[in-house]
Amino acid sequence: MSNEFNKGRRKFIKSAFTMASALAIAKVAPTWAAPQGRSFKDQILTNDEIDLTIAKSPLLVGNKVGTPITINGQMPGPLIRLKEGQRAKLNVTNRLSEDTSIHWHGIILPENMDGVPGVSFEGIKPGRTFKYRYDVEQNGTYWYHSHSGLQEQLGHLGPLVIEPKDGDIGADREHTIILSDWTFEDPDTVFRNLKVAEGYYNYQKRTIFETFEDVRQHGLEKTWKQREMWGQMRMSPRDIADVTGSTYTYLMNGRDSAMNWSALFKPGEKVRLRIINGSAMSYFDVRIPGLEMTVVAADGQPVKPVSIDEFRIGVAETYDVIVQPKHNKAYTIFAESFDRSGYVRGTLTPEIGLEAEVPELRAVPERGMAAMGMGAMAMSGNKEEKGMMNMSGTDGHMNHEMMHKKELPVENIKIEHSEGGHGAAAAMIAMNPTSRLHEPGIGLDNVDHRVLVYSDLIGAQEWPDKREPERQIELHLTGNMERYMWSFDGKNYTEVDGPVQFRHGERLRLVMVNDTMMDHPIHLHGMWMELENGQYPRPRKHTISLKPSEKVSLLISADAPGSWAFHCHLLYHMKAGMFRVVNVA
Amino acid sequence: MYAKSLLFTTALLPAVAMAGHAEEGWPEPVKEYYTGQVLFDRLELTRTDEEENVAVWDMMAWYGGDYHRFVFKSEGENIQDDGEPTDLESAELLYGYLMSPFWSFQAGVGTRGSLSSDASMENYAVVSFMGLAPYWFEMDNSLMVNEEGDVQFVSETEYEWQLTQTSYLQPRIEFTANLTDSDKYERQSGLSNLRVGLRYRHEISREFAPYIGVYWNGALGNTADEMKRMGEDTTETGVVLGARVWF
Repeated sequence: MSNEFNKGRRKFIKSAFTMASALAIAKVAPTWAAPQGRSFKDQILTNDEIDLTIAKSPLLVGNKVGTPITINGQMPGPLIRLKEGQRAKLNVTNRLSEDTSIHWHGIILPENMDGVPGVSFEGIKPGRTFKYRYDVEQNGTYWYHSHSGLQEQLGHLGPLVIEPKDGDIGADREHTIILSDWTFEDPDTVFRNLKVAEGYYNYQKRTIFETFEDVRQHGLEKTWKQREMWGQMRMSPRDIADVTGSTYTYLMNGRDSAMNWSALFKPGEKVRLRIINGSAMSYFDVRIPGLEMTVVAADGQPVKPVSIDEFRIGVAETYDVIVQPKHNKAYTIFAESFDRSGYVRGTLTPEIGLEAEVPELRAVPERGMAAMGMGAMAMSGNKEEKGMMNMSGTDGHMNHEMMHKKELPVENIKIEHSEGGHGAAAAMIAMNPTSRLHEPGIGLDNVDHRVLVYSDLIGAQEWPDKREPERQIELHLTGNMERYMWSFDGKNYTEVDGPVQFRHGERLRLVMVNDTMMDHPIHLHGMWMELENGQYPRPRKHTISLKPSEKVSLLISADAPGSWAFHCHLLYHMKAGMFRVVNVA
Repeated sequence: MYAKSLLFTTALLPAVAMAGHAEEGWPEPVKEYYTGQVLFDRLELTRTDEEENVAVWDMMAWYGGDYHRFVFKSEGENIQDDGEPTDLESAELLYGYLMSPFWSFQAGVGTRGSLSSDASMENYAVVSFMGLAPYWFEMDNSLMVNEEGDVQFVSETEYEWQLTQTSYLQPRIEFTANLTDSDKYERQSGLSNLRVGLRYRHEISREFAPYIGVYWNGALGNTADEMKRMGEDTTETGVVLGARVWF
């Protein structure tokens, strides 16, 4: 793998070259993010060699002009379509006044092509071009984004689809949807606000009047009991998302709800939707009222079809679903932020200009006992709820219930906390962490339709490495909201001595415990993680979301020599230090 | 030059790049983060029951990282139109360390007194425990020792009832206790002062929140006795109008 810096050319030649090639590849695309009746000019790049130019340019975001980072003039960047088996040739030119980078999220490639400044390479200096070259040995739905500073928040991201060798997408048509969160604030300001003023963006806190109402309904004693634990822990059950709809405009393929990104279908067709959560900080709950969705891939990797009505997509995850709209009418694609502080919608429509009813935002959810690691108590509570659901006849929940009967490896793993907790960096320790893979997540416990859960995912095929793990590594997710400190094992990146060591060729089990009150999407670069969810074949993930006080185990084949980033994919958590380097040697 | 050598190294000896995680000259993937804040918790005009107008400030500024911070705290007041100089109740420079998730320990030096050219200031050493107690009580407890060896303890506690997403009802209680008598500064040992207040605050933005409120201030114990002997009023009430501001 050569690390080819485009260096030593005279400036005018280089910029002339880049401009010309950028124009040559720009074309209006009918299938990717090209709604009818508007001239959005979204590009699909399918060339053998692809040029990407990173710049900052004024652009209409919703109803206001912002200054996002654009890729070939658009935000999000163009859809890159590669073919399994080809050699990817991607030339990235930096027209910013600071360093940049592109990380190809979920792609298995050599370490020096992974695009993480300081881990895989130096970064791309202003005015320079970096030539990414790697062999594409997988297919599916992925994405790409900057790994420099907070550039991702400025829209430095885009979808990456790899067509299977045989070209069979299992549907008549496909659309790619990348969700993102945009703010007109400077991302550095957002981070400082989080650092100096806890709860800065949370406008959904519990008020004293709600407490009065609870006392009226449930009595003083019960209300006090509910509040007591939270008060002792100095935490809020309404602390769900750090950055919310109070500053974010949620976008679907770069359009807000008013612009209504739309995609065409013919009634009766099977439509594959490739859905990517390219947000900096936002989990979404996605549904298409009136349409059943069949999940066929998670994080780009095929899974056995699961029919559902709604799924939660953590930051950086991707899901492919197939829908088959039979009627000649429009359907709303509804992506609701999981703290219910906002949403973005788009439309699946048989013809130009139609739109369907847009659902209301649901009530703000609250975290329960399970979030505090009161595992046993919480589980019995959930079972009660599920029992009630079963009576009303939703077999989806019956399935979850049955799956949970299976014993997961992680349930027999005793969790060790370091002596005296994890120091001042951890405001809480999950006393009794449990497996929560069968739970749909906060706010989705009581919905009256089928919601995807991690324990539903079954790999579509066996993975090559069938060995049992030889070794176990345990990592704890830790945090302190008061000072916005986020870390692993109570130590942020700047405080650790060296990388997490994997031995080249070993099969290992990674056990993670979430000692915080937040959900965290944890991403390992360079290698797949097989989720031990009780299914076989196990689903493979590049990003795994952990609920509060959850423990999960994952199997990893340490087959990729080199240094790889491992981090929480909530952008500001990563910035705060929830980041490690994994070294495979 | 460097890039060229990098090109050669990685092209010819890929194993070199694979061994370590960062090569010389590469940036850190995550950097240490330092920031600061200036917070006027109280910046207000007080109208006392003696019909005096008093301008009051109570502020804190800090700079640093997650664990280590430089902290500056100050409180004071100026009675309007009385011809007297501003009374600096405290100005402290401290080093703060985060000891546990919710508490920081601070130590430093402070000065106080009347801000006139001829007055001599009282200098002191101070340690504080500042943080968030269970049930969200915001506390700052300070122990001060001056050059005379006089020891004083001041405790401030604030609580917030969330009325709406942008308005709060905030009780506040502050008491002062002298562990020793002080002839020079006319302090009597024992609990000497209690001040309770209640403010209604409304956020225009997170950074700027005007408020109105009331307070009661009373001298206690030996201090109250001494004031009575001098024929002074031992209690004071008033209304306040101000803003909580940070940047």
